[in-house]
Amino acid sequence: MEQSLSEFMAGNLETFWHMTGFYNATWEHFVMLAVGVFFLWLAIKKNFEPMLLVPIGFGILIGNIPFSAGMEVGIYEEGTVLNILYNGVSAGWYPPLVFLGIGAMTDFTALIANPKLMLVGAAAQFGIFGAYMVALALGFAPDQAGAIAIIGGADGPTAIFVSSKLAPNLMGAIAVSAYSYMALVPVIQPPLMRLFTTKKERLIKMKPARAVSQNEKIIFPIVGLLLTCFVVPTALPLLGMLFFGNLLRECGVTTRLAKTASNALTDIVTILLGMTVGASTQASEFLTIETIGIFFLGFMAFIIASSSGVLFVKLFNLVLPKDKKLNPLIGNAGVSAVPMSARISNNVGLEYDPSNYLLMHAMGPNVAGVIGSATAAGVLLAFLG
Amino acid sequence: MAVSTAAFAQGRKGLYINEVMVQNDSSVVDDYGLHHSWIELYNSTHASMEISSVYLTNDSTKPTLYPVPLGDVNTEIPALQHVLFWADGEPNKGTFHVSFKIKPGETLYIFDSDQKTILDKVTIPADLAANTTFARKADGQGGMSQDAWEVRDGGDKYITPSSNNIIVDTNTKVESFRILDKNGIVLTLMAMAIVFTALLVLSLCFYAISKVGSLVSLLNKMRSHGVDPKTIAETENLAHDSGEEIAAIVMALHEHLNAHDQENTILTINKVKKAYSPWSSKIYGLREIPRR
Repeated sequence: MEQSLSEFMAGNLETFWHMTGFYNATWEHFVMLAVGVFFLWLAIKKNFEPMLLVPIGFGILIGNIPFSAGMEVGIYEEGTVLNILYNGVSAGWYPPLVFLGIGAMTDFTALIANPKLMLVGAAAQFGIFGAYMVALALGFAPDQAGAIAIIGGADGPTAIFVSSKLAPNLMGAIAVSAYSYMALVPVIQPPLMRLFTTKKERLIKMKPARAVSQNEKIIFPIVGLLLTCFVVPTALPLLGMLFFGNLLRECGVTTRLAKTASNALTDIVTILLGMTVGASTQASEFLTIETIGIFFLGFMAFIIASSSGVLFVKLFNLVLPKDKKLNPLIGNAGVSAVPMSARISNNVGLEYDPSNYLLMHAMGPNVAGVIGSATAAGVLLAFLG
Repeated sequence: MAVSTAAFAQGRKGLYINEVMVQNDSSVVDDYGLHHSWIELYNSTHASMEISSVYLTNDSTKPTLYPVPLGDVNTEIPALQHVLFWADGEPNKGTFHVSFKIKPGETLYIFDSDQKTILDKVTIPADLAANTTFARKADGQGGMSQDAWEVRDGGDKYITPSSNNIIVDTNTKVESFRILDKNGIVLTLMAMAIVFTALLVLSLCFYAISKVGSLVSLLNKMRSHGVDPKTIAETENLAHDSGEEIAAIVMALHEHLNAHDQENTILTINKVKKAYSPWSSKIYGLREIPRR
């Protein structure tokens, strides 16, 4: 039977209509699009972690445009452009590249000059394992609990790396939760720092640390890699790249590589990582009761991590000589939100004594937190992977 | 050629005979719908393994009895996966049909491409019944020991051609934690101990390195001053040559040598309020790339 021209056109228009976002949209799509716009608003208007929240927020918009399955555009459809870009997240090779950049950007001088600050970075990792216990109590399976708890490390790439291995279905919510709370560190940490310290403790002035030789800075990434990765080889992708990036920076003969790793490469990977993580947060996976649980646990993890860092410094002070006491306000910096949490230590310290600059002292536990959270990630992968 | 052979030899470690069925009356059939004896090989490595040009044989005096043919993409075994060879003595049926038949009591070998290295071998029990297999208890485990093998009759002990000998339906590690560590306290204690240990060792190591560094720089300084390193008193002086001490020494020398000239004799020592410290210097900023 021959089709008339009008029937032919109507048929094609109907097919086209069925392909449009308007036809395929559900209320969940609009909720997710609103979440994406909210993230963009936070980043652009409130300046909350814009380098991360702009790619993630826009990625949420990209990932939640409604379409009919089989159009070969979706992030979960094999071989699509988004799917190829998403491989860096699902196969876990974006986070180590970000760590390469972090290593090339990070000055470990504060830590090398005062190695005992590494223990503060270790103590703050209790946030991860405290949140793990809370997650178990809420009914999450051990591997899911481990993936969620890593939010307490306050380290986005590590959270993505661990969740992509332990609970890939929760990765979107975990990543968004981790980055959201990292952006909220200036809101979450100061009240806890005040709660757990006395005025006298906040006024402790720490001695300027000794100067660190260039040789020590070069030895640090080599020895750091060997010692930490011999203990936790599962953290090798993260710690290997972190220390490699740092060696590029400190050795003095690879300046060009260090600049590329810390600037162009990090920027490229951050763009792709943020955008694809955002795009992976599709309504069916994101709008669940579990997501609310993940956000709650992320909040708990940040509180426990910040508190345990501060409390550990107070405890540590009991055994330190009088002239070597640490200011507990640097304890919050044990989470690896670099350098934001160190800046918070400094700002809170200045509120109580305008001449007490804690920034460089807080950078010690802060960069130790990066090593600590990567080590903790390795431990979780070893036990639960 | 020698180089490629050596490379293959190194790469094929981890290829094992994993399960064998001699008399197949009712088990799996080949591509032609026929029941034949079969030999399952297992790639125990975590990388795919190309097995073309290794040799399968049931006679150690004829190691090259069946060379796995080149040029078939299916001879690349994915990581931790299996491949099945039909021991029907009809190699013209395809890559996975070997040129010999097998009997109970025989020993099967995999020879590497150098025709000398035995990658794996197993002796089939002489009393192996029909439709039973002789299989490794765990895939790829136990090396060439016969103790690593068991007879499987398809009852409680599954016959598993082209799949794992142990069927795992849960992550045993996660299950163990779920059952034995319900509150997460054990994992927390162990994990925190590991994290603390790793960073404590790193911390101690850098204390040691800083001490050694200080000592080396002190010795270098002593040598440059022509001081005998064994002189402890001198060592202490060099170690604490602060600005104030140097100023005092210079003043004393000045007085002792009576090196006065026409000066107003007023010495003013101003305290510098903002003493230089690398901790407040912009050149040591977080994003500064050091140069030699």
